[in-house]
Amino acid sequence: MKYLIYILGFFVGSNGLVFGQAQKPVDQCVSCHNDLGTAEAELFKHDIHFAKGISCADCHGGDRRATEMEQAMDKKAGYIGVPKGDQISAVCASCHSDPEKMKRYHSSLPTNQFENLKASVHGKLDLSGNNRIVQCTTCHHAHGIVSVKNPASPVYPLNTPATCGKCHANPTYMRTYNPSLPVDQLEKYRTSIHGIRNKKGDPKTAECASCHGSHDIKSVHDAKSSVYALNIPATCAACHSNAAYMKPYGIPTDQFEKYSRSVHGVALLKKHDVSAPACNDCHGNHGAAPPGVESISKVCGTCHALNADLFSSSPHKKAFDERHLPECETCHSNHEILPPTEKMIGTSADAVCSRCHSEKENEKGYVAAQQMRSLIDSLINEEAKAQMLVSEAEQRGMEISDAKFKLRDAHQAMLQSRTAIHSFNEEKFAETVKPGLATIAVVKSEAKGAVEEYYFRRTGLGIATLIITILAVSLFLYIRRIEKNGQRRIKL
Amino acid sequence: MKTLLRKMYKWIDSRVELDDLVKFMGKKYVPINRHSIWYYFGGVSLFLFIIQVITGILLLMYYKGSEDLAFESIQFIMSKVQFGWLIRSIHSWAANLFILAIFVHMFSVFFTKAYRSPREITWLTGMVMLLLAFGFGFSGYLLPWNELAFFATRVGTDIVGILPVIGEPILVFLRAGEDVTGGTLSRFFGIHVAVLPGIFTVLLTIHLLLVQRQGMSEPIDAHHDTERKTMPFFPNFLLRDLLFWLIVLNILAILAVFFPWELGKKADAFASAPAGIKPEWYFLFMYQTLRYLPAHILFVDGELLGVLLFGAAGVLWALVPFWDKKSSRGEQNRFVNYLGLFAVIFIIVLTIIGWLI
Repeated sequence: MKYLIYILGFFVGSNGLVFGQAQKPVDQCVSCHNDLGTAEAELFKHDIHFAKGISCADCHGGDRRATEMEQAMDKKAGYIGVPKGDQISAVCASCHSDPEKMKRYHSSLPTNQFENLKASVHGKLDLSGNNRIVQCTTCHHAHGIVSVKNPASPVYPLNTPATCGKCHANPTYMRTYNPSLPVDQLEKYRTSIHGIRNKKGDPKTAECASCHGSHDIKSVHDAKSSVYALNIPATCAACHSNAAYMKPYGIPTDQFEKYSRSVHGVALLKKHDVSAPACNDCHGNHGAAPPGVESISKVCGTCHALNADLFSSSPHKKAFDERHLPECETCHSNHEILPPTEKMIGTSADAVCSRCHSEKENEKGYVAAQQMRSLIDSLINEEAKAQMLVSEAEQRGMEISDAKFKLRDAHQAMLQSRTAIHSFNEEKFAETVKPGLATIAVVKSEAKGAVEEYYFRRTGLGIATLIITILAVSLFLYIRRIEKNGQRRIKL
Repeated sequence: MKTLLRKMYKWIDSRVELDDLVKFMGKKYVPINRHSIWYYFGGVSLFLFIIQVITGILLLMYYKGSEDLAFESIQFIMSKVQFGWLIRSIHSWAANLFILAIFVHMFSVFFTKAYRSPREITWLTGMVMLLLAFGFGFSGYLLPWNELAFFATRVGTDIVGILPVIGEPILVFLRAGEDVTGGTLSRFFGIHVAVLPGIFTVLLTIHLLLVQRQGMSEPIDAHHDTERKTMPFFPNFLLRDLLFWLIVLNILAILAVFFPWELGKKADAFASAPAGIKPEWYFLFMYQTLRYLPAHILFVDGELLGVLLFGAAGVLWALVPFWDKKSSRGEQNRFVNYLGLFAVIFIIVLTIIGWLI
């Protein structure tokens, strides 16, 4: 009896197994649509979802085992047809936002893409006001979805620019959402070093998603955006400061480090001054490329307009062009532009002028550098002296606001002289410095006068107090004298 | 020299009968007692008022009472006008010493019961002058149009605004609008240099005439002395007064030179109020009291109740000659002494707390 049960059990078990295998439902959706030869069915054969055993019915609903179309596509069986609008992303999110389901497919994909999409600039409502602007299929397509690592994917790095460009390079479409947003990003990108390499088939070079992100794209004005002014250096540095990643390209990877120390980097990253230049302000953003030697002064000149103009009309312009020297960069460096000081001028060892000018070589420039340094030194020294005198007068409680105001003019002259130095013309430079020196002379005289006035007041007070005291004592003595017999007693 | 002076005296005497006045003054005697020292504070107050008038007129020659020019004109006075700094500093310091002297004078009169009959009018005119002195201080404080003055005026006028029914119209009247603006400055300027001095001068004249007419009051306990000491008003008391004035002048000069009155930053209506803004010291005890009061006391707004209580206390204080019958009868009234003592301690303690916090 025991053996009979074992045998029966074996049959039931093995039959069940065999039967089970035999009974694995044939995906009638795929079967029929393949027979029909539809494009969707053809594409779906290569779809990653198909490879993972996901059926048409998992997205479209219906009964995948039903052989009859009416039954398979019966609404009672959950058939939804072609998902539309937000329904599309909801269908994708039903698995992709469910960690448990995704684990079942051994997926390492994050499950917050849909949440990120909803919060992104693409998650805003479209023209109908009922659906989000972008659905999952807008970028990933529908039936031929492959891994992002697959070169056939529309979001594979080499394909991303074209995918984004479908909308972003379409002025008619973009006008309906953001008319002020340029539509030449793709065009510019193709001219950039990144774009050229991307076109050549280098998937490592930056494309749209490398800087803007993928599902969580935010407006450039949003502080959380990876391309918000304050975040740009870090975004660029993600690749450009990664020595291993950048190794094949043979370019330095210390730009971010240097930039962070620079006057621009300190202003942007430490002082959070968003008007300070980030990487893109000099290199361009979509058309990013290192500025050419001859265009550096134009790039810097977008902000430092006066300096650039003066330089262009200076004798240095021709000399630099002839020697193919990068204009501003030769003296100020590129990424590590430190706050300029007067020490840059002159003929001392640490002065930039002495790199080209020496007593024997380029003597004219050597003498001019010496004299300009002497002028700026005198301006700085005199300003410091005037400042000290003003402070002294202020500490003594003197009203010196007028001189203080003038001191600001003197400081302004100092700042102007720093600009005027780019004319590299001694006379022009002196024209800026001399009014500053004249103002400082007035300030010093006023401050000195105020300090002298302070001592005059003290002396005056001493004399006045002495006179009043003598008067009071004399009066006291006089009162005593007349009161000796002056008091009257009234008897009541 | 003497002959020339005598001739001048005779020339004036023949026209205005100066002799009568000299004889009257010659006959006038001032009592001497252990409280005599307090008599001089009336004179000191008068002296400081005269200084205020003189320095005020001098400042008026350069001051410009408009929103755009007030601050700059004071800056000009302090830096460019010869001795302008001294005049402005003396005006500011004398204003504070003036109120201090009035306070001392008022409390000495209160404690010696000099307000009692027949000097009720002298007391009342004095009390009104004390109020006017506060008005001088409050209106003058805004005139430099600096940050502190601007916000202190805003806070000060806000307090007036909480009074029911009349508060809002008074506030609008004082500010010349809903908020402190250039209009307020012009209004305060007018009040400070024309309205208040005019009224004050009339009251001061009455006050001084009454003092001359009725003579100095003697403390109640002095009546028990069998023998009273006196001194001639002219020249003894007047010279002693002068001695006090010289001492005050010396103090004033030292204060003005060693602690010149600061100008601060120009008022900016759009700037946030500077931290720890406080009114002038003579308003501090009231301000501090109002701060301590809870938001509501028995369904009544705490601040409103405080203002009304101060108002009522002021009225009661001013009417003391009419309800303190005992003193008028020449009897000691200990209640009044304790009340005065309480007021002095209250003012001093609250002022110190207000200053320190």
